[in-house]
Amino acid sequence: MKRITSVLLCATMIFSLAACSGGKTGDKGSTAAPAAAAGTEAGASQTTSPDSIPAHKEELIIGAAAAVNNLDLQKQADQINNICLKLTHQALFRLDEENNRIPCLALSADWIDDTTIEIKLRSDACFSDGTPLTAEDVKFTFDMAIDSPISGNLTGLEGVDVIDDTTVHMQMKSYSNDFLMSLTFIPFGIQSKAAYESGMEKPYLIGSGQYVLEDWVDGEFISFIKSENYWGEDVGISDQITFRPYLEASSRVIALQNGEIDVCIDPPINELQYLEEDKNITVHEQPGTRLFYFGFNCEKEPWNNQTLRQAVACAIDRNSVIQAAVYGKGTPQTTVLNRGLWGFYDDMDGFDYDVDRAKQLMAEAGYPDGGISTTLIIANSSPYTMIAQVIQANLKEIGIQVEIKTLEDATLKSTCVEGQHDLFLWRWNETIRPDCVYRDLFNTGVASNYHHFSDAKVDELTDKVLMDREEAQRQADSKELQTYLVEASPQVPLYIANLVIAYHNDLKMPFFRGGGDHEWYNAYIAK
Amino acid sequence: MLKYILKRIMLMIPAILATSFIIYFAMDMTGSDPATALAPDNATEEQIEQLREELGLNDPIFVRYGKYMMGMMKGDLGTSYVTKRDVFETFMTRLPNTIQLAFTAVFVATLIAVPLGIYTAIHQNTWKDTGGMVFALFGVSMPNFWLGMILIIIFSLNLKWFPSGAKGGPESLVLPAVTVGLGFAALITRTTRSAMLDVIRQDYMTTARAKGTGERDVIFKHGLRNALIPIITVIGMQLSNALTGSVLAETVFSWPGVGRLIVDSIAKRDTPMVTGAIIMSCVLMCVVNLAVDLIYAFFDPRIKAQYSQKG
Amino acid sequence: MVNAKSRSMGQETFRRLLKNKGAVCGMVFLVLLVLISIAAGFVYNYDTDIIAINMSQALQPPNANHWFGTDALGRDIFARMLYGARYSLIIGVGSVAIGLVIGVTLGAIAGFYGGFVDQMIMRTVDVFYSIPNIMIAVVIVSLLGTSTMNLLIALCFTCATSFTRIARASVMTIRDQEFVEAAYEIGLPTWKIILKHILPNCLSPIIVQVTLLIGTTIIAASSLSFLGIGVPLPAPEWGAMLSEGRQHIRDAAYMCIIPGLAIMFTVLALNLLGDGLRDALDPKMKR
Repeated sequence: MKRITSVLLCATMIFSLAACSGGKTGDKGSTAAPAAAAGTEAGASQTTSPDSIPAHKEELIIGAAAAVNNLDLQKQADQINNICLKLTHQALFRLDEENNRIPCLALSADWIDDTTIEIKLRSDACFSDGTPLTAEDVKFTFDMAIDSPISGNLTGLEGVDVIDDTTVHMQMKSYSNDFLMSLTFIPFGIQSKAAYESGMEKPYLIGSGQYVLEDWVDGEFISFIKSENYWGEDVGISDQITFRPYLEASSRVIALQNGEIDVCIDPPINELQYLEEDKNITVHEQPGTRLFYFGFNCEKEPWNNQTLRQAVACAIDRNSVIQAAVYGKGTPQTTVLNRGLWGFYDDMDGFDYDVDRAKQLMAEAGYPDGGISTTLIIANSSPYTMIAQVIQANLKEIGIQVEIKTLEDATLKSTCVEGQHDLFLWRWNETIRPDCVYRDLFNTGVASNYHHFSDAKVDELTDKVLMDREEAQRQADSKELQTYLVEASPQVPLYIANLVIAYHNDLKMPFFRGGGDHEWYNAYIAK
Repeated sequence: MLKYILKRIMLMIPAILATSFIIYFAMDMTGSDPATALAPDNATEEQIEQLREELGLNDPIFVRYGKYMMGMMKGDLGTSYVTKRDVFETFMTRLPNTIQLAFTAVFVATLIAVPLGIYTAIHQNTWKDTGGMVFALFGVSMPNFWLGMILIIIFSLNLKWFPSGAKGGPESLVLPAVTVGLGFAALITRTTRSAMLDVIRQDYMTTARAKGTGERDVIFKHGLRNALIPIITVIGMQLSNALTGSVLAETVFSWPGVGRLIVDSIAKRDTPMVTGAIIMSCVLMCVVNLAVDLIYAFFDPRIKAQYSQKG
Repeated sequence: MVNAKSRSMGQETFRRLLKNKGAVCGMVFLVLLVLISIAAGFVYNYDTDIIAINMSQALQPPNANHWFGTDALGRDIFARMLYGARYSLIIGVGSVAIGLVIGVTLGAIAGFYGGFVDQMIMRTVDVFYSIPNIMIAVVIVSLLGTSTMNLLIALCFTCATSFTRIARASVMTIRDQEFVEAAYEIGLPTWKIILKHILPNCLSPIIVQVTLLIGTTIIAASSLSFLGIGVPLPAPEWGAMLSEGRQHIRDAAYMCIIPGLAIMFTVLALNLLGDGLRDALDPKMKR
């Protein structure tokens, strides 16, 4: 009996040890030591008087669909990371509600000749540790960026020269219409040269934004608190902003209903009815920007046959796809460019759902009785599995047998890059640079051109659209390029998913972005 | 005794080496290139190549494995390809969650199963026995992720008693622990029952009754004590299973544990994380098994003697 | 001589099995399941009934037209359930069969020869045993890709390790017995001794393990499909149906309940049968 008691005691001790050991071992943010103002120009934080900040709940908790995995700006590319980085860092420019470029850390940018951009910076900006943000930091950031894994977003930039404390010149290889938009990209948020040179452990945590990192427990939450040294007037309102990953969409919704979180990102559409019934919750929907598409490997038989591809384009029932994938909350489209991008043109004839025409095109392509057997690779997650099954059924009607292979994202990407696939489903989200759609998806030899599509005319038109100085000419070229690409059908664009987000009624947020990369630094829960 | 423990620890090493070898090679053979997967969508060929150089992917496999082993000896399990964080650190952050879940599950299971097993053994062949055995059978036959879903439907969505996922306060532990524990409970019940049945029929029980010892003392002092060995074996097995095998419960309840970490890392082809986490799990399982064996010795002096001699 | 003995032993076992009501229920259920899975192929047309998409009928709860309701793509769940039985059965039986052949071979060799061969085999088995079978399966399926065949391969590892241990233990107890020595004396080749004299006497634990392992494998297969790496879409495998159902756990809970019940009852039947066989084959069982 004694032995049993002692064993049970041991077990209880171990158990309680385990229960208490769920401690925080994540990163601690750099505690911003309030620096003595170095000169009158340094960013002394604006002490906003108590009455100009509206009454608000201290902590804003946002339930996200993925966990933050990397805060080193230039070494990552995930949207969830960028959403957090928008709190702590700032780029030279930012976007307003209509996606127009407006000043942020920079006041202006002008092409003073065909290969040089002159950028004028603010003089009063500073980092969260109180040190001033100058042209040196800008140069440092972009020098680092040119060698970083994400330098693909800065194509053409050759170097940055510091002219004086508030002026830099960016040396470009050639003129580009889209380059200035790249300067709004948060991974190119300005970082502190001094922080890197000081040898501190995570210099990338120092930014000029309204918030600083407070605590990060991988897989559980990441929290940000207001920076004491913010230079601007547009201070953050919520004292603390926390992101909690809920990988399970249903549990995210339930957490919102239980009040555990204030905002639910990407609620599953089939559960919106429960949220709409709830008096405390608002469901917001707006047109999105993410385009889901069905792609061909244009280098592989039989998909190098353009007429065959067009036949398939006619066989796909986009409305069924939208119904199955997002319960109708999406917009079909014919063109390859994301809706909302400059130059978006969707009025070409293209290939609508028409099974008879599809069969006719099949015959023209040399397959009057169908008889093709092929594989479709997709990522292992929700809209793709549904889309794939609809398309599989559609293609069966015209005699094409499709085998669906689900792969993990990583494998999907490498298989596509290596060109071993026949058909694939993927998505592309681009909000500000049309060149990134044309070039990255359709130009010869580009790694992300999973279609392995190669057409000199497309390459040529892409360059023209990037470099045309004259607006009318550029519009015409853009239209021509899109029409040409639709005709060539390296992919069948399916639909743009709507942005859906649900939140507590008292959330105050200036606006949401269709692409999902919202700016949370202005958000708060009103009391 | 100490020699025995040391010997067991020595035996762990080849097992861990072999496991790491197999996993490392298996992950490597997947044929998909981690660099392509990790690079941003619009990276160029040169950037992907540069990433490959950085990750050391261009060295031949044996060189890479060698480097990995050297690191392992020093206790450095490498850095994750995906999060760039230390593998060991990430594992240790997730481990307490899994330990919590595993221990609670086994605790719950034992709490239900042992009394149930004793009860059904005492009342063998009555309807109480059948009832208990049916419960045990159902527990073993259910896929535990399905049980998790059903529990969510009933207790979380309809009754709203418990949260349906993610780690929060103690109430978020209840449903996942019951999900994992119920399956274990079934197995432990069956083992307890058959162990008790074996013991009840033994002669020394009759002797004890003849001597006039109360029935309760007969069952507990004499019966249960001797039946404990197989019961503890099974509890120990379930514990080491729980530590690594609760992947499904962790998926259904979004519990940030080790099992889920491994499966997600395999999906992302994060070789260092997968290898490191599986190695750590094996170490953990070995430690738990050793602990269970030591508890045997505690209970059975014959085994204790055996261990002391063996060393 | 041996034949006559085993026939009567088989009959004897069967008789004892029949006395166990649970085992009988299990057997009946399994026979029905096999019949259903065969019949489903004839009654339903795969293309029109099982995988055809019908968006207008999507997400209907059980009603007169669709006894188990429809899923998110408008497919009839009842038909898919019946058709899906074959995946579970094929994967369960297939994995166990492959594992049986490999495991018993290895175990017999290890048990018979002992020494170094034994150590090598058993240490390898121990390594695989120490990695949970879900992990092994996930790694293998990630390597080879998702297909029914690859799933079979992935799942047979656990079965093989299990059979190796059992076969080895049985072989070791028997190999020292006199009739084996006698067979040696006569000059029979080793493989014949193993095959014809030793293995038949190890049958009982192996038979019991077969039924129990089929159950475990079916659950493992559905777990992998649940994680998304099992049988490829759009096959109506029960675990895959549960995975789809999970997204509708609030608005269409029947999608979550029904396939799970099917898995549970199938495995329950196998467990009942396995327990009954164990009791029937155990000479020490007192009635």
